[in-house]
Amino acid sequence: MFSFAAPLALVGLIGLPLIYWLLRVTPPRPREIVFPPTKILRELKPDEETPAKTPWWLMALRLALAAALMLAMAGPVWAPSGVVASSASMLIVIDDGWAAAPTWERRVAGAASIIESAARAGGPVAVALASETAAPVPGDGGRAMEKLRSARPKPFLPDRKAIGEQAVAFARAHPGARIIWISDGVAQGDAAGFAHALKESGASGVEVYVEDHAPRALAAPTNDAAALSVDVLRTGDDASAVIDALDAKGRTIGRTTADFNGAPRVSAKIELPVELRNEVSHLRIEGENSAGAVALLDARSKVKRIALVGGESADQAQPLLSPLYYLEKALAPFAQIRMARPGVVDPVQALLAENPNIMALADVGLAPGETFDALSRFVEEGGTLVRFAGPRLANADDDLLPVRLRRNGRVLGGAMSWEEPKSLAEFDATSPFFGLPAAKDVTVQRQVLAEPDPGLADKTWARLSDGTPLVTAERRGKGLIVLFHVNADANWSNLPISGLFVEMLKRISAMAGESTPSGGEQSSTMAEQSALAPMRVLDGFGALGAPGPTAQSIPPGFEGPASAEHPPGLYGAGEVFVAVQTLRPKDGISAFDFKGAGLSATALRSSSQLDLRGPLLAFALVAFIADALIAMALAGKLRLRPFGAATAALLALLCMSAATDETRAESAPKSASSQRDKDVALTTRLAYVVSGDAHVDETSRLGLDALTQALNMRTSFSPGDPVGVDPAKDELAFYPMLYWPIVASAPQPSAKTVARVAAYMKQGGTVVFDTRDALAQRVGGAPTPETQWLRDLTKGLDIPPLEVTPRDHVITKTFYLLDGFVGRYANGETWVEALPPEPKDQAARPVRATDSVSAIVITSNDLAGAWAQDKRGQPLFPLTPGGARQRELALRGGINLVMYTLTGNYKSDQVHVRDLLERLGQ
Amino acid sequence: MFSDVTTRAYDPALRKPADGAAAADLASQMPRLVARAREIAASLAYGVHGRKRAGVGETFWQYRPFASGEAAYRIDWRRSARGDQLYVREREWEAAHDYFLWMDCSPSMAFGSSLASDDKLSRAVTLGLALADVLVRGGERAAALGLTAPVSARDVIDWLARALAENAMEAARDDLPPQAPMRPRARVVLISDFLIDPDALAARLRRFADAGASGAILMVTDPSEETLPFFGETTFVDTDGGPAFYAGDARSLRAAYARRFEAHRDAIRRAAQHVGFIFLQHRTDRPAAEAALALAMGLLGTDGLGFEERR
Repeated sequence: MFSFAAPLALVGLIGLPLIYWLLRVTPPRPREIVFPPTKILRELKPDEETPAKTPWWLMALRLALAAALMLAMAGPVWAPSGVVASSASMLIVIDDGWAAAPTWERRVAGAASIIESAARAGGPVAVALASETAAPVPGDGGRAMEKLRSARPKPFLPDRKAIGEQAVAFARAHPGARIIWISDGVAQGDAAGFAHALKESGASGVEVYVEDHAPRALAAPTNDAAALSVDVLRTGDDASAVIDALDAKGRTIGRTTADFNGAPRVSAKIELPVELRNEVSHLRIEGENSAGAVALLDARSKVKRIALVGGESADQAQPLLSPLYYLEKALAPFAQIRMARPGVVDPVQALLAENPNIMALADVGLAPGETFDALSRFVEEGGTLVRFAGPRLANADDDLLPVRLRRNGRVLGGAMSWEEPKSLAEFDATSPFFGLPAAKDVTVQRQVLAEPDPGLADKTWARLSDGTPLVTAERRGKGLIVLFHVNADANWSNLPISGLFVEMLKRISAMAGESTPSGGEQSSTMAEQSALAPMRVLDGFGALGAPGPTAQSIPPGFEGPASAEHPPGLYGAGEVFVAVQTLRPKDGISAFDFKGAGLSATALRSSSQLDLRGPLLAFALVAFIADALIAMALAGKLRLRPFGAATAALLALLCMSAATDETRAESAPKSASSQRDKDVALTTRLAYVVSGDAHVDETSRLGLDALTQALNMRTSFSPGDPVGVDPAKDELAFYPMLYWPIVASAPQPSAKTVARVAAYMKQGGTVVFDTRDALAQRVGGAPTPETQWLRDLTKGLDIPPLEVTPRDHVITKTFYLLDGFVGRYANGETWVEALPPEPKDQAARPVRATDSVSAIVITSNDLAGAWAQDKRGQPLFPLTPGGARQRELALRGGINLVMYTLTGNYKSDQVHVRDLLERLGQ
Repeated sequence: MFSDVTTRAYDPALRKPADGAAAADLASQMPRLVARAREIAASLAYGVHGRKRAGVGETFWQYRPFASGEAAYRIDWRRSARGDQLYVREREWEAAHDYFLWMDCSPSMAFGSSLASDDKLSRAVTLGLALADVLVRGGERAAALGLTAPVSARDVIDWLARALAENAMEAARDDLPPQAPMRPRARVVLISDFLIDPDALAARLRRFADAGASGAILMVTDPSEETLPFFGETTFVDTDGGPAFYAGDARSLRAAYARRFEAHRDAIRRAAQHVGFIFLQHRTDRPAAEAALALAMGLLGTDGLGFEERR
């Protein structure tokens, strides 16, 4: 659909006939020459040539030129998006919950084209995000665009209530305003209320745009003894979802496919051995880059291995009398239970060999000896020992207890006692059990008592209503000793058959394996647990990162929905952390029914509007030049060979075809390039790959120029001037190192070109790929366009296994001793060919190297940008974080790279020089 | 790619350049032309007939014995003191010719192209003045045809130059050499581009011949007038006020024009040779000294002083 920004300018087209007439009347003016022998000329032939009329084709050209100029002035716009431009004020509400994240780029592009059209029409535009509460401020297109560009999806589903009120207020303040809602299509977050508010707002038009993407999500991840399971939710009609289980470093450990079978919510199970399952740090739906599609697993969801040892020989015939029976029942849902086979001489030692997280001893007295030492060591090294009282314990005298016990316990409410059975007191705030309901129906008839030593209160996790401790605990070494002052069967109390028992064991099991920050500071850890600070939080795209300024600590037992204050992520410190999920276990997501709300949703088309002014003006310019040339040719100022006109036409055609068809251009400079090859073969020099982006190419050239200077000054290597090469055409064999800045907008090289690059790498060349996107990269997030481009490119290359440059790699030692390779950015990793694993038997060597030079180096730090300087030696680009030191380090890294490509593993041999000299001295 | 041949012209009578700032009227150009004429004349004095003479300005002819009855003041005492006899210092016999020089000042002469540094008029004036100087030093008398009487002053160049500058206005009227009273056996040197009717010129030359004069014709041509180095659609404007000529493509005329121009030159040459005039031609892109030498040699012969009739 065409529209004109200034339709009045079209009136100028009326003037075309006038131009036509003028052109007909005024022929091109002949050249006038004063010439004395004109008399002689005149005798040659009479003045038969009357002034020629303007040729019709020249006239057509000039008329087309004039028409193009007038059309361009009218500002024609081809607007395929269909958003009608008008000068009314406009409010664009953009849903920025995680559900919008997978299609965020397209949403932004679509919103940008709407803003463009509105700005062209001259109406004020306001952009509001669904998570905002502030009143939207209408402004010009530039401001709106700025806001749009800075917006990022949030890791939660914002409540649209506040923005709904603001939209209503906006419609009131600006009569005739249009409201455009770019919705994520999810009903959660009060979509119905918002839709109602929009309809009632009195705005002149409410338009709803949606992206063609139904978000999927994960909820309620559980890692229990049987399997790792998670609920998969969908809003659209996707048939299935692939769920990846990833470890903390982002490697995929397991993968499963969940088939929805028509249901909006299914449970997916990931079958993995317990050891691997405990490595899983988060789950993710493949291809769905949103916070909702990520489920985090924390320490609580790690499956613990619990070894159970009973004091008495198990009576298989009467299981209910065995304390182990109750423990097994209580632990089975969330832990893996190990029990000694009957007849084993020393069950404790046998089970310790199986490396459990928790050792539960039900009424076992420990005598000093081998078993006792093994258990002590287990606790010291971080094991959790849970002991239950009983007749044997009460009479034993061992050290592996949190408190000193008094001989013989006490009996409450028995036949021989006046006292009633005691119930539980509320848990203290410092207790790990805080938050659990102190069940009133739990009564204790018999218990062992602790000596009232100082510090007993701190060690007490649960107490009876009379204040006597029921559960005590103490940190010892890295481990934890917990003592239940009752036994594990139902003889002493009914605690083991209550639900509370299961919960208490769960808490203890969650704490198992956590190391204390420092020995003996039990009370401080307890205090910390009262509020957990955000450690790493998810962004809207589902990538973990540092928490933002709005993120606040969560209270213990936080289960509420994720919000701006409490974004989903990991809370806590060290290895003690708690995960807050994007979706609560019971949360669901569903598609919003726009029709039901009386709104019609249109697909948001991201294709931007085409401003035709540029092409028209370009045409006018070309026509103008052509006209000038033709006029000159007619006036005789253009000297053309015979058949000149035909040659000129052919030349023009060639020029045009050369612009579109590069095959012509390729054949032409064949001989020139071979001449250049001769030149470059004589001097070793650096080279960069011409990307086609003039800015990037200039940066590469200046950067390599500066590096060449530095090499000249500091090293014995004097390279020639750097050159830009096109791997499709130029011979690469002359360059030891090829710097390849990645430009995502450039077309992928052809398969033939990739084969040439592969051959170059095989022959010993080194390609330094620079994605220049260290700032944009998100760990675990979607790959940046540059990274994606590089991945596509390397599909055709035979890439060896890569690793992040280890500290002892020879590349960090070839000239300078470096820690890493920095460029404009310092945070990106540099990847090189993986070294063979360090041989275990030999002494550690200071430097390791492969036999050959790594054929590929990948960095994202924009090296050339840091090297580049202008003629006066001033740096061209600012650095992040910045400083002269970083620039120097970048240059040193470049020198090391060049030296590495030239000398290979020479420097790793150099480190043995001292040994060799010593040997020679003998 | 583009034609770089441009032309320039001015009205020699007016102090107003017609085309470009470089051109100026004849009077204001005159000092430059005079200086150049002196240079050329000096080079000719050495180049042609300097070798046979002991020095510049020596006018001695011979000593002869004193004859009784002569005036005593004629005795050269310095010579006579060396012997017993008295000697008279005799000067050269003054049998000088009158040379009438005509430098065409018509508008067609005030024309030059970018192929040559000088326009035709300044080249003609330079040559004429230089020739006059050489002639006077050679003992002849020189005059501007129709403007001055023959003089043999050493500052003949200034003399003639002043006359030319003052009378340029009238001289520009006519592109034929004017009629002037002259003694028999006078010499006439005509310097012009001769873009005139050859028959009219032949008639005028016959009048000179009838008066007993002989002489030389120097045809000065701009290179562009010979080759017509122009392209494309062109309007040719006549300097003499004739109708302009439009050419659809000037280049296509080149060959025909060259033939026609050659024919015209032949006609001029025939007209000259018919009355016994020497015909010389000169292109302004050649050095001026070359033409001056040719003229001097044509008129005076190689020994410079001994005048020989040339038929």
